[in-house]
Amino acid sequence: MSIVAYLPRRALSLAEEEAAAPPAFELTGRRKLSEAERTLAGQIFGEFRADPRHHEFVLGCINCGECTTGCPAARFYDFSPREMLQIALTGDATTLWDALQEKIWSCCQCYTCNMRCRFGNDIAGIISVMRELSVRHGVEATRKTLAPFGRSLTLLMTVGTQVSSDMIQPDFFRDWGPFATGSDKVWNVSADIMRKAIPSDVLQTTRSSWEVSVQTSLELFRIYEETGVLDMLRGLDPDLTEMLIDIIEERREEFSEARERFATELAGMKGTVATFSG
Amino acid sequence: MLSASEIRKVVEERNVHQKGTGKKVVDVREEMHRLEDKGELIVHRIRPENRPVEAKTLFGWTKRIPTDRLWHHKSCGQCGNIPGYPSSLLWLMNETGRTYLNEPHQTSCTAWNYHGTATSNPTALAAVAARNFHRAYETDHFPLIHCGTSYGDYKEMRKLLVENAAVRTKVREVLRKMGRDLVLPEEIVHYSEWVHAMTPEIVARQSRSVTGIVATVHEPCHYYKMVPEDAVYDDRVYAGQRPAVPSGILMSLGATVADYSTWYDCCGFGFRHILSEREFSRSFANLRKIRPMVEEAHADVAITSDTGCVTTLDKSQWIGKAHGLSYLLPVLSDVQFAALALGAHPYKIAQVHWHSASAEGLLEKMGIDWKSAKAEFQEYLRALQSGAAPELLHPAHGEIETFFAVNKGQVLPDEAPGAPVAGAGPDVRRGPRE
Ligand code: SF4
Ligand code: SF4
Repeated sequence: MSIVAYLPRRALSLAEEEAAAPPAFELTGRRKLSEAERTLAGQIFGEFRADPRHHEFVLGCINCGECTTGCPAARFYDFSPREMLQIALTGDATTLWDALQEKIWSCCQCYTCNMRCRFGNDIAGIISVMRELSVRHGVEATRKTLAPFGRSLTLLMTVGTQVSSDMIQPDFFRDWGPFATGSDKVWNVSADIMRKAIPSDVLQTTRSSWEVSVQTSLELFRIYEETGVLDMLRGLDPDLTEMLIDIIEERREEFSEARERFATELAGMKGTVATFSG
Repeated sequence: MLSASEIRKVVEERNVHQKGTGKKVVDVREEMHRLEDKGELIVHRIRPENRPVEAKTLFGWTKRIPTDRLWHHKSCGQCGNIPGYPSSLLWLMNETGRTYLNEPHQTSCTAWNYHGTATSNPTALAAVAARNFHRAYETDHFPLIHCGTSYGDYKEMRKLLVENAAVRTKVREVLRKMGRDLVLPEEIVHYSEWVHAMTPEIVARQSRSVTGIVATVHEPCHYYKMVPEDAVYDDRVYAGQRPAVPSGILMSLGATVADYSTWYDCCGFGFRHILSEREFSRSFANLRKIRPMVEEAHADVAITSDTGCVTTLDKSQWIGKAHGLSYLLPVLSDVQFAALALGAHPYKIAQVHWHSASAEGLLEKMGIDWKSAKAEFQEYLRALQSGAAPELLHPAHGEIETFFAVNKGQVLPDEAPGAPVAGAGPDVRRGPRE
């Protein structure tokens, strides 16, 4: 039998409770919000609650803390998945806003909490929903947190891979030691030659994780355009978004020029290669 | 905070929703086939030429693992940092006579970005998954996922596409704009499951003993904590209490797989953290993973089967010296370890020189003459520098493939049995595939 069956029934009738409407919990030390922040926080809260995933991911909570005992982020940050779930379940606009300022970005997305939660809550998932909203609305704290991602976002949006070997440079990855770049210094040859020594042609590039054909990257960008990802990114970084659009426009031109150049080879072909226009 | 009555209302709505949707763990594959019958999607079937082998999942469900005619879905982390991971896998496929495509016509799953920065959304992730699935389908090769996160993400996306009609419709609409259709593979298969299915064939080719080598396994979180019901378990590995991969292959090769107290912890990758907040990643990797592996289990090597995990556990160790943590425990993927046990070149194939924690001590324990191999590799680099052609595991792609996702004589979507007839709508299709 469920443990809930043993819990004492509430004394107040629902009508009495509604009349009194006491807050379930009072937080002290709450952040003081400006009028603009209060409006934005209210809007984000409304969208958060209306997101269909809220129903799917937040199923109940008995504050057991099982999620938090396995959480890697909880060991090093002022953060707990139990608190995130409680905010999702019982929080209001202010507590959600508070979480968006820093805490949501502590999570490693390892899904350990999900595996441990007896309610089957998708805690990692609901944290992602919170993150998506803070990106879409360009919450200032989120912009700052994600500021170092310009290069990897550019790569991701234009070729669909997240890192490249030429990103692993000593000035940014000094803590990885002298061998992180394929130890080209140790072997006394250039980074390009180190990549050439990988026995697969698609892996021999230094500019992305693997060579990605122009058609493939244009298909990906089409997905971003059609599914609202570009609009989201605009909320976070409008300049970066415009730059990406320019890069893709050039690539589209390159693609149509290539179609003329390879007209003979392409003539007999069928499938997407024959129809995709960029 | 909400009032007590408002909270009660939320819980009540939740109950109604759960009852309405009958939410419980279901085998999403069954519904996927029903949707195919209705003409809503195409199931990319595992066929006899994929030479499938059966395995069991967490709930005892049967999962068919294709072992041949595979489409490599590479991982965006591995190729930048640890190229020995894909090259060892390709090498093992060549050794065991398996065929595959390793193309430039694949995007990553983009889930690293989603889990790190949230600059995407489930519909976009589902469309990316379906785009790559369709590309594999149009080449008539079955997708094999290299990355733990891509594997977890694709299982989530398959579930989303099966359970959510609105997302399905939107994704189909986006795909049609690029001449593609909604295809879901019969199984979502991680490369370590291929290794598991291929264990007898791999062990039969072993040429170097690994007896006496103590390995600690880091189980990639996204392999078994995302959509856990689909991960492979085997009674012979930890009595079915932990995932069978990658421990199984190590045990079969004769290594000692040693337990340690924090096996269940993540590696510290964190998606966002590994790029912009590595203080966390390296603290976690050193203190919660490498230290117990060395101090409790006296490991010679840490083995894992995800690109982010190899990267984090390996690259985080060098800086540990600053805090007196000088473990420098070699970290390899299961395929690098297996390839070495089968006689692969440690530098040309396993590419161990990309790792921060040197693997040379381990190579010595495995009886590998790494000094000669290193000299040979040095010679090879010099030859490359003088313009020699690189040694490749598969034929190089032509210039046309820099631009176009061409089909090299593979089955095209409008010719594949079971595929929809072009222009006739989703429910008019050719005869069954088998
Ligand atoms: S997914 Fe996030 S909240 Fe959950 S255990 Fe991992 S780090 Fe903690
Ligand atoms: S494990 Fe589940 S029920 Fe327990 S505190 Fe965490 S979210 Fe709540």
